[in-house]
Amino acid sequence: MTIAAEQWSFPRVYGGRGIAILIAALLVLWITGQRVEMGRMATLTVEAVMAQLGLAERSQVADGLGKLMGQLVPIQLSDQRDVTRIEGFDPDRLPLFSHLETVATKVERLDPQSMRREQVIERATVLVRPLGYLGHVAIKMLETLEIALWGTVIAAMIGLPLGLLGARNITPHPAVRVAARSIIGLLRAIPELISALFLVVAYGFGPIAGVLALALYGAGFLGKFYAEDMESADPKPQEAMTAMGAGRLLLWRFAVLPQVVPQFIAYTLYILDRNVRMATVIGLVGAGGIGQELKGSYDMYEYGHVGTILVAILIVVLLLDHGAARLRHRWL
Amino acid sequence: MSAPADVRLDGVTVSFDSFRALDSVTLEIPAGQICVILGPSGAGKSTLLRTVNGLVFPDRGSVAIGGTTVDRRSLPGLRARIGMIHQHFGLAQRASVATNMIAAAAPAMPLWRALLGFYPAVDRRRACALIEAVGLQEEHLARRVDRLSGGQQQRVGIARAFMRDPALILADEPVASLDPRSAGEILDLLRDQARMRGATVVCSLHQLDLARSFADRIIAMRDGRILFDSPPDRLDAWQIAQVYGRGAPEQVMLEAAE
Repeated sequence: MTIAAEQWSFPRVYGGRGIAILIAALLVLWITGQRVEMGRMATLTVEAVMAQLGLAERSQVADGLGKLMGQLVPIQLSDQRDVTRIEGFDPDRLPLFSHLETVATKVERLDPQSMRREQVIERATVLVRPLGYLGHVAIKMLETLEIALWGTVIAAMIGLPLGLLGARNITPHPAVRVAARSIIGLLRAIPELISALFLVVAYGFGPIAGVLALALYGAGFLGKFYAEDMESADPKPQEAMTAMGAGRLLLWRFAVLPQVVPQFIAYTLYILDRNVRMATVIGLVGAGGIGQELKGSYDMYEYGHVGTILVAILIVVLLLDHGAARLRHRWL
Repeated sequence: MSAPADVRLDGVTVSFDSFRALDSVTLEIPAGQICVILGPSGAGKSTLLRTVNGLVFPDRGSVAIGGTTVDRRSLPGLRARIGMIHQHFGLAQRASVATNMIAAAAPAMPLWRALLGFYPAVDRRRACALIEAVGLQEEHLARRVDRLSGGQQQRVGIARAFMRDPALILADEPVASLDPRSAGEILDLLRDQARMRGATVVCSLHQLDLARSFADRIIAMRDGRILFDSPPDRLDAWQIAQVYGRGAPEQVMLEAAE
């Protein structure tokens, strides 16, 4: 028996189940929101905005941020070094664009004869390089980029074999696949910042720990995505290769690899992009590069230096975004 | 040129879950014959072809090629002498024609050569000669497969099937995704190459008219069984109607009546 179309019921958009899910979701957000003080966040933020508009007298957030921001500028561009600490310093042959300055500092000292405290003015000649600190930041930034590059290269070198062993259509044995997938899961489960903490202990401060931390997480990420891409590759060429008597490696080389190369490049570029940002962050725990410099300056209350570093990071990340977008557009 | 091989199926039964794709099929295809298997979708044509080169193993019965029984042990040696042509060409779409051609020779060369791209000169020369033989040009070698038309892709498919001097060619609906004119051209090409290079051909087809002009022998299947087996000129309308059943496309009926 058929019913005329006028009497059909169109599927409802808001069914009973949909409403129940909505209520449950709101409940979860309400409870968790209280626990992470979302209410206070809103109050403080509104207060800060009001203070800017002159509608509130003072705001804790705006004051704190404003004070810090005020100290970031002017950003530090030059550096100065005491000439007595420069080995083989020759005042007649100064480095390019640099000049000498005399700096007077007041020092309180105990006079050994009178046993009184007295103020002494100490004079020191310093070598000032107008863009010296900028150069230092540039070198540290370059180190960060190098850490990111090597982190990506090693990630791909570990991720590719893991992906091959972890892909259902290429793995030599299902047990190997399970093992490879477990390793991938483990690598992905440890964030860079945490593995960097431990690697700094193992390898010491500096870029090695950074490269390894980035490589381990990246290998897990790339292994997972490489494997999934290879599993979902068009099976028709693969069957053709099997019919020709090809083994798994040849099947991969001639029937899978050509299909997945564009995605492989895209994932690897994404990891490179991500690694540049993460290399900055893991520097904070001593894994080399600009992050380590940032942490050092911040802890020494040298906010002008911090300002320079922040500007440098901002510029590099923006350039990178732009470059990666263009690269993807061109090739993929 | 190799000596063509004969194919022998003896009581081959293949089931997928409860569906019986082949029901004790016994068949002998003499060396050098061009044999077309005709039948509606789901008749068991593809399964029959796939049992011959071990992509599917029969539940019961056996398959022998040139006197060698197909099993896991003999398969690597046998596959080296079987070329297969697929409905959807089976080519890696994003790879070049040259890479797809070399892929057929790869199992026979040292692994490092295949993986690193140091292909033996003899294989490179053979790929060029075959691409010329199927009517393509040098410029097509470097072109990506997905830049070729369907007819051109199947030409590459045929050229590739002959890369290792096969004694047997299995063609699984080689022209089903082509327009009628290229379909005729492709089948002519396949037959000429098979005759010239000495290979038995087992080919599944949908179109009766093409089968008639192409085959030495036509085997019609339905529901996993062989309905009849005859030279192409002995087919009549009644037999065709049996193959395609009551739901026979009118076109087939008309063609058969001509």
